[in-house]
Amino acid sequence: MTLEIGTVDLTMDEIAGRLAAAFPVELSAVSVQEPDTVVAHLERTRLKDVARRLKELPQLAYETLNWIAGVDLGAQLESVYHVYSWRTNTYLELHVTVPRAKAELDTVTDVWPAADWHEREAWDMMGIRYLGHPDLRRILLKDDFVGHPLRKDYVDLAENHPHA
Amino acid sequence: MSDMVPDRLKIGYPKLEKFQNPNVITTTADFVFSWARSNSVFPFTYGLACCAIEMLSSGFARFDVARYGMEVFRPTPRQCDLMIVAGTLNEKMAPVLKRLYDQMAEPKWVVSMGACATSGGPFYDGYNVVNGVDKVVPVDVYIPGCPPRPEALFQGLLELQGKIRQHSFAPVLPGAPEDAGS
Repeated sequence: MTLEIGTVDLTMDEIAGRLAAAFPVELSAVSVQEPDTVVAHLERTRLKDVARRLKELPQLAYETLNWIAGVDLGAQLESVYHVYSWRTNTYLELHVTVPRAKAELDTVTDVWPAADWHEREAWDMMGIRYLGHPDLRRILLKDDFVGHPLRKDYVDLAENHPHA
Repeated sequence: MSDMVPDRLKIGYPKLEKFQNPNVITTTADFVFSWARSNSVFPFTYGLACCAIEMLSSGFARFDVARYGMEVFRPTPRQCDLMIVAGTLNEKMAPVLKRLYDQMAEPKWVVSMGACATSGGPFYDGYNVVNGVDKVVPVDVYIPGCPPRPEALFQGLLELQGKIRQHSFAPVLPGAPEDAGS
C-alpha cells in the first residue's frame, strides 16, 4: 500500500464541515483550532465505530495515529486521540471523556496498531482502562507500582519507594 | 593546573636521566600496582540523563579524559571497574543498576555524578525517583552540579585516583586489624 500524500486539497473549514456531516451524532463541537488541526468531542460509546470509519473515510482517511494523551478534568478523565490524514496533511484531535469512577474505553489497537503502547502509557499514568487491549500492562513504571501518578489526586506512597 | 591539585593526590616520578644507565628501582608493590591501576580505569558508560552528555563530552578531544588514562568507556560491566552513574535513577532502573554493579569485577568503584544521582536533585519528590544511587550501591565519590561540567567530573575522578592509590594488595590476615597495610 502506498500513502497518498497531499493529494486532496481542502480548506480546514471544508474538512471540519465534512467531518460534522459524516458523524452528525457522534462528533460534537467540531472546530478548527490550529492552522492544521480540527478539534472535536466524541461520544465514548461510539469510539471504535468512529475510529474504523475515520480510517476509511473517503478523501480524508485518517490513517495514522500520532499519539494518545490523558487529561485529568476532575470528575472526568479524558483520552485525546491525535490522528493524521496524509491525503490532506491535517490533524484531527478527538477528545473522549470517561467518568472518573468508571474509566473504561474501547481499545483502538485493532484500527491503529500504534495505539498499543500509547494506551498502555495512558493506563499506566492516568488509569484509563482500555477494554480489549491485547496486553494492557504498565509500560513506564514497574509492574508492582501502586496507583496512577498523573492523576491529580495521587499521593506519593511509601511502597512505591522501596529504595528510599 | 598543577597548583590546583592537592598534595595528597600528587605522585612523584623519578627523573628520566636516572634511567640513562642500567639501574634498579626499589619500590613497594602497592605503590606500583596502585599507580598503574589508578591510571588505567575503565569507566562503565552508565548515562541515565543529561549528565551523560557532559560525561561523553569529557571523553572527546576538547576535554579529553584520556589524559588521566580513562578514555576507554565500555558498554559492558564485565570489562569495567568504574561505574559513573550520570543521571536520574528511578525505581524501575534501580534493580538493573544493582545487577550491573554486581556483574562488575572486583575491585570496583562508583562515582555519583550530578545532583540527581547524589540525592534525587530537582526530582527529589518524584513518584518514581530514587533519592540517590547510594541507596542501591556503595558510592566512592560524589560530584555536585546540575549537570557538573567536565572539569568537575575530572576533579571527582582525580579524587577517585587518590583513593585507588591508597589501596593495598597485602592480604588481610585473620585476626589482623581491618586497616592493616593501608
